[in-house]
This record gives sequence, structure tokens and C-alpha cells, in this order.
Amino acid sequence: MSLHLNLYHEVIRAKELKRRDPLKLTMYGLAAVVAAFAGYYVLQAVKLHSLNSELATVKAEFDRLDPQAKTAKAREDELQTQLKAGTLLVKKVENRFYWAPVLEQVMQVVPREVQVTRLTGEITGESNRRCALSIDGLSAGADARNVAETLRTAIAEKISPQFKNVTSKFRTLEDGTEMAMLDGKQVPTATFAINVEFYSGEERAAEPVRRKK
Amino acid sequence: MKLGKEEIQKLVLAGLMVVGVIYCYFNLLLGPMGRSQEAARISIEALGPTIAAAKAQIAKTAEVERAAPANMETTRQVTAMIPDGSPVAWFPPRVGEFFKQHGLDKISTRLAGEAAEKEMPGFRRMSWSIDLPKVGFVPFATAVATLENEEPLLEINGLQIEAGRDDIESQRALLTVSNYVKQ
Repeated sequence: MSLHLNLYHEVIRAKELKRRDPLKLTMYGLAAVVAAFAGYYVLQAVKLHSLNSELATVKAEFDRLDPQAKTAKAREDELQTQLKAGTLLVKKVENRFYWAPVLEQVMQVVPREVQVTRLTGEITGESNRRCALSIDGLSAGADARNVAETLRTAIAEKISPQFKNVTSKFRTLEDGTEMAMLDGKQVPTATFAINVEFYSGEERAAEPVRRKK
Repeated sequence: MKLGKEEIQKLVLAGLMVVGVIYCYFNLLLGPMGRSQEAARISIEALGPTIAAAKAQIAKTAEVERAAPANMETTRQVTAMIPDGSPVAWFPPRVGEFFKQHGLDKISTRLAGEAAEKEMPGFRRMSWSIDLPKVGFVPFATAVATLENEEPLLEINGLQIEAGRDDIESQRALLTVSNYVKQ
């Protein structure tokens, strides 16, 4: 075996050390990490740009729609007010109280022994309407008081089918001082005043009770 | 491989550089960008429902506008019954003419009051007192029935019929009526 002498071992070792320089290797690694970071950054920048573009589009649409929506809201409020007023007017027209049928019914139950001297009526309320009638008159007959009583009950019975909570009460019922001529006979009289009260229309629904928290 | 002192120093320096680069990358570059992205995303998400609400409002108004003519037809017909001008100028002659047609000549109509209708903008309610000093009960009742049928905007709030003291065949009638007029 021949002997080999390496006279350049120091130079080779220095080269080897230089090739495996940790700082250099770290710099290479760092460069790779920086490149990856830069790539990720560019990706994020593109994403941001895309988001900003989308935001600009959405803002432009909002800026276009917002004034239109405000105008539409004002127009809708105006129309709703008109519609509500119209509906209410029609409802009030439809829910009017008609006196003619009441007068007709009262007229039908007044017998020939009774003379109505005064009839007053008043209607109050909005939806559930209270009607108050006052009928003053003179009844004649052998039992004039009973004639008046018959009239009082007849009025209540006649009105009851059409209206609610009908009440018919005497305000006064007194024997008359004068005699009346009926069928050629002198008969005693009685003066009376009847108060009739009834309700017409729909009862307003009761407001819901608010629960305490 | 055994590291020399100089190499250890270099490694520490490189480590410090890596830490510095990572810190700068995340805090100075990626951080603000992430915040910008988040802000943009929040803005987009916030505008979404607002835009949807605006579109819904526009569609709703269009629907109301489309249905309005049909819904307001009855109102238009009712409103057309109200003459223009001051009610004091047209209502008493109109009532007078009406009762004359029913053979009731003597009549006086007076304004009793007026009130604005809060729930019905554009309308007000006027109260009138109609005095018929000499009427027969049956013609009067017939006239009342016709009045109630022909004048839908008028309502009789009260009435009083009183037998005459001198003429037993005739009565005195007093009507309290109200009607809706234009504002």
C-alpha cells in the first residue's frame, strides 16, 4: 500500500467549514421563510383588495337605494294615512245610527189610547253607541196606568231584536187630572214619561292586560 | 460538529434576526392588513341587511301604491259627495231644499259647532241644528228615512219631536245632525 500525503488538508478543511457556515445556512432558511411570508402577504393583499372592491360595490348600492327607500317610506306613510282616513270614513258611514227604523218601531207600538206629546232621542259614543230615548205622553182608558205600562213593555220588546241591552223604564207615571173622550166615553188619563236605553254597534274589544315583569 | 464561539455568536445573531423579521411581519404588515380585512367584512355584513331592508321598503311601497287606487275608490266616491266651498254656504240650502221636497217648508238650519278629526286628516266634522217648527209626524219620519239614505256623510245625533200646543195635528221637530266635510 502506497503512502498518500495530503498536503492541502488545511485548505480543504477551511473550505468544508465555509460550506457548512451556520450563519449562511440560517440566512438561506430565513430567505425561504421570508419568501413564504411575502407570498402569504401578497395573497392577503389580493384578498383585501377584493374585499375593498366588494365593499365599494355594496356602498354604492346602499347610496343608491337609501334615498329611494327614504322616499318610499315617506310615500308609504302618506298613502297609509290616506287609506286609514278613507277606511275610517267608510267605517263611520257604515256604522251610522239610523233613526227612521226606531221611529217606525215606536210608531207601530203606540196604541190609539196613547198620545205621545214629546219624543227625544240622543245617540252617544263611537263604536258601541248608546241611544237614549225619552217618550212623554198621555194614556187614556179605564186603566190608564196599565195602558202606559203596556206601551213601555211593548217598546222594549219591539226594539230588543235589533239592539242590545234594551231597557225601558218609567221616569214618571201619574194619574192625569183631565178626562179624555175615547169612543164616545169619558175615560181617566195618566201622564207618563218613559226612558228607553239601548246600544247599537260593535263593542270595542277589551285592551289586553299588560303583564308585570 | 463542534461549534466555535464565533459560530455561536452568528447563530444567536441569526436567531435575533428571525425573531425581528417575524415580529415585523406579523405586527407591521399582516396585522394592519388583517384589521382592514375585518373592518371591510364587518361593513359589508352590516350593509347587507340595510340594503335588504331598503329593497323590501321599496317593494312594499310599490305594492301599496299598486293597491291604493282600488282601496281608495270607495273613499274617492264618498269624498266626491262633498261639495267644494264653505259648508255654511252649501249645507243649509241643501237641507232646506231636501225638506221642501218632502213638503216641509219651514226650516232653519244653523251651525252648532265643528271639530277636526284627528284620525282622519283632510276631514272635519260639523254639527248643525235643524229646526222644523211645523211638521206632521209621518211626513217627518219619512223625510228622516230618506235623509239617512241619501246623505251617507250625515248622521242624526239627536232628535226632538214635540206636539204643538195650539195645533194638535202638527209637531215641532228639532234635529241635531253632524256631517263630514273637507278640511
